[in-house]
Amino acid sequence: MSLNSGGIVRYSGQSGPIFKLAFVTGLLTLITAGIYRFWAKTRMRKYIWSSVSIDGDAFEYTGTGLEKLLGFLIAIVFLAVYLAGVQLILTFLGLGVMMQPGNELAIIASVYISFFAIVPFLLFAVYRARRYKLARTRLRGIRFGMDNAAWGYAWRAIGHYLLTGITLGALLPRQTFYLEKYMTDRSYYGDAKFEQGGRWQGLYAALKHVLIGLAIMILGAIVGGVMNAEALIGIAVFVGYFWFMIGFVYYRVHAYAYLANHKTLDGQVTFTATPSTAEIIKIVLVGGIVLGVVAAIAFGVLGGVVYGMAASGGMGMGMGPNIAQIVPIVILYLLILIGLGALGVVMITHPIIGHLATNLKVNNAEALGAVRQRAYDKGADAEGFADALDIGGAI
Amino acid sequence: MIGAAPVAAVFFDGHTAQRHPVFVTVSRDGRGLMIDAQGPGGTPMLWPLDRLRSLADQARSDSLTLTLHSDTEDETPRDPARLVIEDPALQAWLRLSAPSLKKRDVRRGTATRILGRFALAVVSIGIIVFVLLPRMSDFLANRMPLETEIQFGDAVVNQMERFLGGRAGSLLCTDPQGNAALDRLVTRLTEGQEMAYDLKVSVLDHPMVNAFAAPGGRVVILRGLLDKSDTPGEVAAVLAHEIGHVEARDPTRLMLRAAGSAGIVSIVLGDVSGGTVIGILGDQLLQTSYTRAAEAQADAFAMAMLNRAAISSEGFGAFFDKLAEMDQIEIPEYFSSHPSSADRAERAKENARNQGVTKPALSEADWAALKTVCAP
Repeated sequence: MSLNSGGIVRYSGQSGPIFKLAFVTGLLTLITAGIYRFWAKTRMRKYIWSSVSIDGDAFEYTGTGLEKLLGFLIAIVFLAVYLAGVQLILTFLGLGVMMQPGNELAIIASVYISFFAIVPFLLFAVYRARRYKLARTRLRGIRFGMDNAAWGYAWRAIGHYLLTGITLGALLPRQTFYLEKYMTDRSYYGDAKFEQGGRWQGLYAALKHVLIGLAIMILGAIVGGVMNAEALIGIAVFVGYFWFMIGFVYYRVHAYAYLANHKTLDGQVTFTATPSTAEIIKIVLVGGIVLGVVAAIAFGVLGGVVYGMAASGGMGMGMGPNIAQIVPIVILYLLILIGLGALGVVMITHPIIGHLATNLKVNNAEALGAVRQRAYDKGADAEGFADALDIGGAI
Repeated sequence: MIGAAPVAAVFFDGHTAQRHPVFVTVSRDGRGLMIDAQGPGGTPMLWPLDRLRSLADQARSDSLTLTLHSDTEDETPRDPARLVIEDPALQAWLRLSAPSLKKRDVRRGTATRILGRFALAVVSIGIIVFVLLPRMSDFLANRMPLETEIQFGDAVVNQMERFLGGRAGSLLCTDPQGNAALDRLVTRLTEGQEMAYDLKVSVLDHPMVNAFAAPGGRVVILRGLLDKSDTPGEVAAVLAHEIGHVEARDPTRLMLRAAGSAGIVSIVLGDVSGGTVIGILGDQLLQTSYTRAAEAQADAFAMAMLNRAAISSEGFGAFFDKLAEMDQIEIPEYFSSHPSSADRAERAKENARNQGVTKPALSEADWAALKTVCAP
């Protein structure tokens, strides 16, 4: 009965409803002192997921705010115990809270140690968050899922980071490839297993503009140094740095495409991703400019109101500003922040997801019909660690 | 819609990813949807209207995805099957006729579960703070190297000065005669005794009536305490008490515990960088909440010290009497964790009655010099 339909991915998200949803949930989050954020995230995901469809069948997000809150509580307790221990031992070693001047080294050391003590949990959280997201995603009523292997990911990631660091970034493609492969090879749609094919060396092509940017900076500095032309060095570094940053976006986009094009599902279904770096950069730049302008206007108006109130004598000579004047200003300020957050989703997140979705094609999609349901993943702490450590963003 | 022509829709059975084209009709009694496979075979299914639920926060307004309320183990009590209806007329009819289409089903006992989890979180953190951390702090305090402790004590005193509104070192009272008198008092108290630390006693220029011990053998007296004392014996008593804390390593223990608690607060407040840690530490210090047992021990230590130095514990009693008076007006936080001042005064006086011949803690001249140690 299956139609030979070609695996067309569509995106039907619309700016208006997304802004409304982001703004309303942001407002509720503010009113509830942050507790609603678990539900806010859930509702945003429900909307975004349902905007993406393959051959007309929309994705469904089935996560709940409640399980996120409960998971967050677990993670908080766990991390509290851990951090208490870390601080105690740091203090014992005389590094903990050395706040006297002249002991900057100890302060720096303790901040770094505290941070690095958290890193394994950050990476653990990255994997757990992805597993939770997949476990709560359905297509045609069938669950996605991922194996329980977060610690394996954390240790491997640390190893890759060290290797990439030691080689000054030369092995970044290797890191990108193997970390994605680790996650992909443990992902499922129903009873069908994903597999990451390809070679890590295949990602070097995506790195080319990063290398060109670096080369411009280095060559410019050398040539300029030999010729004793400071202007040349300046221009080279500026151009090279700009090229480098754009090159990094290019890397991320093309690495994503390479990895997507070499994924298979159940050995039968493949993907064709053709995202455009120029399009993504355009979205980010235009979105950034619009956000900046709107923020400037909004805060400018707010500043003008405050100034006007001060000048009209309401806050004059010796009298402190009174509550009746401060409260509306603070509320206005918070409303602007929420509005800007919602605008950021509308101007940047939503168009990027739209671009990636519409430039993805599922090959041999009719084979999906044979996939069978997988068991429900309880996912005890949802993405609590990611929430507690504040990673993962709005969606 | 009852009796209307069958409407084409798509059904997903929840067991396979197979897309089933179906015909949907409203059942004859109007209380359910009949779902019938297009083409031959299969038995029609009935989905009762009151169990129908639609997915929330959906992007597409042109289609309606239905699920069935069902007592599954899933994250929400829903059947895994889905029915996608694109026909506008049937959608409109369902929105009107299905009573609980937008209902959010919450499992029984959810509130209990939330409360239970909250309680568990609070209890676990309580156990960490009040049981685990003190034990670990005690263990580590006894093993801390002396240099670390001294370094630590200096940091603590500097931080304390900042808390009292000065810069590091700016509040220190430097009058040489006054400090010499203070040193003589310390020598008098510790003479002929084996001390674990080289004591370093200093006075800070601040009106608060307070004194505290810091790690590594440091004792700090605030000027307010000197102002409030009428005899050198009172200062000697407080000093002996603080030395008691120093010798028992109480401040080191407290520091370690504060650092651990700060680690907890930083995660609860969502600041992992440790900025809050420093803030909390200063606050903990001002409160110096030693346990009652530690206070009683320091009192006993002070009494023995005074007896050995032949200083009357009358001064101890007098000081506690003053504190008892102050208690009725304002309770300084420092003293609030101490045993009742009246009881302690009584004990000190009792001790004084049994003391033999005593000598004043300081000569008249030294006492006068100590009183003006903060004078510029």
